[in-house]
Amino acid sequence: MSGLDWGVLGLTLAIIILYGIYRSRGSRSMDDYLLAGNSLPWYHVCLSVMATQASAITFLSAPGQGFSDGMRFVQFYFGLPLAMVVLSITFVPIFHRLKVYTAYEYLEGRFDGRVRSFTAILFLISRGLSTGISIYAPAIILSTILGWNIYWTNLIMGGIVLVYTVSGGTRAISHTHLQQMLIVTGAMAVAGYMTVHLLPDGVGFGDALQVAGKAGRLNLLDFKFDPNSRYNIWSGLIGGFFLQLSYFGTDQSQVGRYLTGQSVGQSRLGLLMNGMLKVPMQFLIILVGVLVFVFYQFRESPVFFNTQETDKLKQSVYATDYNLLEIKHGLLTTERQKGVVNLQQALNSDNETEVEAARTQLQQADEAIKENRGAVVKLIQKNNPAADTNDTNYVFLRFVLDYLPHGLIGLLIAVIFSASMGSIAAAYNSLASTTIVDIYKRSFRPDASDGHYVAASRWATAGWGVFCIIVAQFANRMGNMIEAVNILGSLFYGVILGIFVVAFYFKTIGARATFFAALLAEALVILCWQLELTAFLWLNVIGCVLVVGLAWGIQQITVNSEQRTTNSE
Amino acid sequence: MDYNPREFPPFVKTWPQLYGVVLGALVVEIVLFYVLMRLFS
Repeated sequence: MSGLDWGVLGLTLAIIILYGIYRSRGSRSMDDYLLAGNSLPWYHVCLSVMATQASAITFLSAPGQGFSDGMRFVQFYFGLPLAMVVLSITFVPIFHRLKVYTAYEYLEGRFDGRVRSFTAILFLISRGLSTGISIYAPAIILSTILGWNIYWTNLIMGGIVLVYTVSGGTRAISHTHLQQMLIVTGAMAVAGYMTVHLLPDGVGFGDALQVAGKAGRLNLLDFKFDPNSRYNIWSGLIGGFFLQLSYFGTDQSQVGRYLTGQSVGQSRLGLLMNGMLKVPMQFLIILVGVLVFVFYQFRESPVFFNTQETDKLKQSVYATDYNLLEIKHGLLTTERQKGVVNLQQALNSDNETEVEAARTQLQQADEAIKENRGAVVKLIQKNNPAADTNDTNYVFLRFVLDYLPHGLIGLLIAVIFSASMGSIAAAYNSLASTTIVDIYKRSFRPDASDGHYVAASRWATAGWGVFCIIVAQFANRMGNMIEAVNILGSLFYGVILGIFVVAFYFKTIGARATFFAALLAEALVILCWQLELTAFLWLNVIGCVLVVGLAWGIQQITVNSEQRTTNSE
Repeated sequence: MDYNPREFPPFVKTWPQLYGVVLGALVVEIVLFYVLMRLFS
């Protein structure tokens, strides 16, 4: 990174932090600190929920997925608009009417304190751990590629938001979210434009799409129903619906965002606009990765994008083997370049036979490159069994550093920080509000003053910040990190959603049945995951259905046995 | 009434209409993705 990049990065972060501090003024009541005084318009709600969901790994992993796996990841988001509609009809009016600070408060009125506390604890565990991963994921990539110390990067990534989150609470978070989303959207648009601009002369956006399509990267839809396939239209619509409904309906980091809306209508509008914008936004982010893939068809790509691992190989006893594989990679990429030029010419001449021949040549070269890369990965493993052999998350940043102009590099690193700050700030705030409202206030200090709870919330925010940074310091290999966060969420979200579904739609089921059903369902979901019975998105469906089914069954058994006891008396 | 009619965007008048717009947009996106996929495959 040059001085210009450091300047752009420093200036962008300073503006966000100073603006956050400026917006921190006057948060003296619980309403203001946790709900921004229910004063925000719909566009604030919309951008805030988007910034909370789009963490730094979204901007590192999603283009990486586009590069290595094509566009099919976009199907993951198809359930989101459906979930926004259900939330707007059911959850939003109930939460607003009851004037709750957290989603879990509602459960005490509907069931009892036990169900409320159990659900709040499930949330605290899953959100606390996944926030640690959300800090570590971008930090490890930045530290690897830029040579920064991982412990300091974790500390800065997780600590910088505490400056305005502790003092300003929800109001500061929502205002900085707006700013962060503007920076992120603008910078990603410029990155996409630059990727097309860097393609060889005579290759435009349309040609890039042709090449991507022929290389199988525009695999946007897969209609085949396969429970073990991670991304297809059914897992996206059904599994994604349950995951998003659970995430937005029962995860306090999101509930806390739309409760800031100045009315039911404004909260609804914010969520529905998110439902309309999310799929196109993800499409464009993944498309940047696909364009990077096309770019590397015309140039030599690194044999492995995490160059720190290959540098280690060069210093090891496997150096000779690696050098041979690297030379072979160079020859194969030259072959691929010939293939893509032939394809380009065939497409221009509109000759189907030639297009098919060129496509086959390109695919064969691609397969050979993959095979050669597999051999490099095996060497990396031999040299360092603890090495991260998944380089998907490194693809985009490597491209940015190697090919984009100075200034834009700094801006894109700032994007990673901004996105990270947006989601981490919301997570700290939600962890603090749940700890104070659902645990501390309910079980330890029910009658303290408003000022006391605001002070306690500030301490809780700082405490959770420290906890998440510690988790980040101990996190290590997790494969693709966006998936690691989603898998962790799927282990708990289905059960939490099941509890809320019983609460909203099954009025005859009581607290005891729901509590034991939730306990049992959580154990079964973890078992399903351990035994790898299905792709992780389906765990959300399984968890939810299990809670509803088991609660209904336990309720029937309890009612029948109570009736028998009454009759025998 | 839990909302102000003036809160709606200009092209809709009721919540069900807005829900329809959101779900309709998803359907349109899926159709466009299908067309894009077929066109360039």
